[in-house]
Amino acid sequence: MAKRQKPVFLPPAQDLRLKAVNLKKGYPLKLEPAELRRLESVIERAADALHKETAEKLRLLRAALNDVAKGDRADQAMRAIRSLSLDIKGMGGMFKYPLLTAFAKSLNDFTNSIDYPTPVQLDIIAAQIDALYVVLAKHLQGSGGRTERALLDALRQATARHKGSRARF
Amino acid sequence: MSNAPMADLERIDFSKISFLVVEPNRLMGQMVRDVLLMLDAQYIDRARDYQSAIQLLKVGRIDVMITEWALSHEVTGKNGMDIVHWVRNDPASPNPFMPIVMMTANSEEEYVCRARDAGVSEFVAKPYTVQGFYTRLAAAIARPRRFVRVEDYFGPDRRRRSSDTYDGPERRIPAEPN
Repeated sequence: MAKRQKPVFLPPAQDLRLKAVNLKKGYPLKLEPAELRRLESVIERAADALHKETAEKLRLLRAALNDVAKGDRADQAMRAIRSLSLDIKGMGGMFKYPLLTAFAKSLNDFTNSIDYPTPVQLDIIAAQIDALYVVLAKHLQGSGGRTERALLDALRQATARHKGSRARF
Repeated sequence: MSNAPMADLERIDFSKISFLVVEPNRLMGQMVRDVLLMLDAQYIDRARDYQSAIQLLKVGRIDVMITEWALSHEVTGKNGMDIVHWVRNDPASPNPFMPIVMMTANSEEEYVCRARDAGVSEFVAKPYTVQGFYTRLAAAIARPRRFVRVEDYFGPDRRRRSSDTYDGPERRIPAEPN
């Protein structure tokens, strides 16, 4: 058996520390609550823009779904659905819509293993996009009530039953 | 005079640091930029794809990179992980030791492990909190880890904890109790 090469350890690079870390100027490693609130205001101010951006991405999701249904460059349209759902997954919780993140994750996980969806898979994708629309249109902030959780569970069960077999990576 | 340990008094002067934010989503990139500006950062470059990120990195003035995993594939077919690989391993990379924060909606454990094994310094899952982002950014800058070179890996030491009781040739995990 070939002998495994011994790891070489190199000390931490100090250039950036020397340049930027000091005892007088700048921000502490652990932020004070007031500093943290000031930074959080950046995200709060972006909430309207995030709402608009999500609405636009949902419109594009519907358009991509129509392309897939028509068989119009289905693989490209599926790529678009994966990319858009990943974007919404990342944005939802940023502006107090964790349900958007949950539904978008469900859609993204499901479509990650599908290039050419069957009619049943198409229906499931459409249902997930509809759910995203409802969350945004009805301003369902927070984790949702019993109905939303039941819907999410139902979609999870449907996606588990009908998921594709393509490897994720 | 304060009795706090020296490390607790340390501060980061973000105005001295050059950032590169690689984010295909214009709005999400803008938010990261705005947070950095509020921290008094002065030098913030932005890129939305692999090629423009590499061009900016080649200039050699970037100190810290914050990158999304999923980038637009249309042109190069490459993503944020390819940029990490380039920084750590390409002979043309000006700074293979650069702190890299991966900020991505690909947040499941398998992605975290892949990012770690590619040489990412810190991982931030989207949607993120400002506190989570800041904590990891500050750690990447002020608490650099030692680097390791082995056959198939070059990057920050992936072991965050070390055992004081084992002194043998290879890492060990504690035995399961009987």
